[in-house]
Amino acid sequence: MAHALLVDDDPELRTLLAGYLRGYGMQVTTVADGAALRATLQATAPETAFDVLLLDVMLPDASGLDLCRWVRETSNMPVIMLTAQGDPASRIIGLELGADDYLPKPFEPRELVARIHAVLRRTGSAQPRFGPRSGAAPSRPASAPEPADAVRRFNGWSFDRLRHTLVSPAQVVVALSNAEFRLLSAFVDHPQRVLSRERLLELSRAPGVEVTDRSIDLAVSRLRQKLGDAPRDGSREASREGSRERGLIRTVRGEGYLFDVEMS
Amino acid sequence: MKHWWADTLFKRLFVLMWVALVVSHLIAFLAVRSFVAPAGAGMQGGMLPPVLGSLPPGTPVPGVGPVGPGGPPGDRPAFAKESPPGDVEELLASDAPPWPAAGGMPAGALWLDYGVRLIVIGLAAWLGARWLSAPMRRLSAASQALGQSLGEAQAAPAATAPLDEHRGTLEVRQTAQVFNAMAARLAEQFKAQGLLMAAISHDLRTPLARLRLRLEPMNSQAPAQAHPQAAACIGDLREMDALIGSVLDLVRDQQTPAAPQRVDLLALVQALADDLGDQGQAVRVQGEPAVVSAHPAALGRVLSNLVGNALRHAGSAEITVATRHGQAHLCVDDRGPGIPPGQLDAVFKPFYRLQASGTAGSTGSGLGLHIARDLLVRQGGQLTLANRPGGGLRAEVVLPLG
Repeated sequence: MAHALLVDDDPELRTLLAGYLRGYGMQVTTVADGAALRATLQATAPETAFDVLLLDVMLPDASGLDLCRWVRETSNMPVIMLTAQGDPASRIIGLELGADDYLPKPFEPRELVARIHAVLRRTGSAQPRFGPRSGAAPSRPASAPEPADAVRRFNGWSFDRLRHTLVSPAQVVVALSNAEFRLLSAFVDHPQRVLSRERLLELSRAPGVEVTDRSIDLAVSRLRQKLGDAPRDGSREASREGSRERGLIRTVRGEGYLFDVEMS
Repeated sequence: MKHWWADTLFKRLFVLMWVALVVSHLIAFLAVRSFVAPAGAGMQGGMLPPVLGSLPPGTPVPGVGPVGPGGPPGDRPAFAKESPPGDVEELLASDAPPWPAAGGMPAGALWLDYGVRLIVIGLAAWLGARWLSAPMRRLSAASQALGQSLGEAQAAPAATAPLDEHRGTLEVRQTAQVFNAMAARLAEQFKAQGLLMAAISHDLRTPLARLRLRLEPMNSQAPAQAHPQAAACIGDLREMDALIGSVLDLVRDQQTPAAPQRVDLLALVQALADDLGDQGQAVRVQGEPAVVSAHPAALGRVLSNLVGNALRHAGSAEITVATRHGQAHLCVDDRGPGIPPGQLDAVFKPFYRLQASGTAGSTGSGLGLHIARDLLVRQGGQLTLANRPGGGLRAEVVLPLG
């Protein structure tokens, strides 16, 4: 049974949310502020550790962002930030500080449950999460990007996963649809490896979105177009020829797709 | 008495002019005396009091007769005595220097006198003007810095006192004090505005979150148990949340001018259309690639607002991208009801909503178009609305090519 620690200064919201999550078979402990959070975490034995921390950004005695940083320094417990601010800048700051997800208030309750499950799936909820980080601390899986590798570079392109931006070698911002973004994210994590459609389906899964074989093929062709057709040296024809010679995403007949780049 | 000695702008200007004029006269006199007087035979000017000897040439004194131009008035008595009227033409015609020795100055000395004074006064005026206008320049630089620091949000609130309050004249020091107080108050108000907005968003969104959780039991997945009003309540909640979001966006946009980047406009439009397509919306895109100079996130919001309007009122949208005359033109076309011609401008006003809008339910906050136009104008672009010939609305965005 997953055990969540909820930090929010609003008593009614704490009660309501705890009740709601218990309905989904979770064990929930609630605290009101930063001091209580620190005390609770320090008093918790590893065997009764929490699986996920739900952290409000605006607390009376501390900034949720500072607390997030502190938790990140001392443990591997996944953090989902809940915030009433909900602007893109604070979302990016939260994710850069190591939060695993970020949900603006008022959120859809089912969405929160889905995000908790997604985070637990990513980090594997088996091992205890809190406690001093030792040499044998469980490593975070690649799908939860560490702040350091949030920006990935390949062949002159730079791909910023927090800001959802892709910048071409000619410094032009090329927007990606959500499907293209998830696909490129999967490719960037597995360069120089043949990925089958099934594997790509699995890697680019997102809550509430239906992904099919066909939609993978469609997203690949759109992504190819954006990676190859983006104006590079002003000459569209030249760049198109160039991309045909050495495509970034190669089709491997009968097997899947290969992201043929040198990551740097 | 203290005020009398105070370092005021009045006194600086007074002293500057006085010193400049006296010094120019003195130097001119000394120059004439040391370079010309020894050569000029029997020049009596040397014996005259210095100020008289170097006074500027005046207008002829009435009654003295036609005096040659430039005769120093200080020399006039001697001049009038020794060269009576009528002799002037004769003197000019001859090879002899005009106004010979007799008390007047030779032409060379005169020109030296003028030249030296011109240079000295010019120099003094230049230095003095720089000296006196320096506080003005500091003030304007500080004003500019203040405007920028206020524009760049609360990242570094009033890091330095903009003006030195202990430098310069009394007036300058007073202005600096007033300016610094004003800058501090402005920074405070900007900060207070940001805090107020954060407080409003927090204080409204927390109860909204509670309300949403309270509604959840009534919004059960089994249709038989679901309360008929629950879905409508959740819709209202979303609308309120969107309105709070729009107001916060408006405040944020006014505080943070983002640096423009080069953005692939067609890719942006395609990404938007693909995302909407995945949600089952009908958005068609056509056109040529165009790289514009804009802020990608802001531009994305503008476009999704325009396309969202089209989808809400017409159910489908068609987007065209073209480049003409160094500008990118993007049109969002629909076949909806359009906007009555008299209200085409009014819809850009904040919180303005079309009267008797046929579509029921969610009609937006009335802020979308206002924010969209505001964002575009900030990026050097334009937004216009027009009714299409066959019915429907065309929203046209013009942006500079990057």
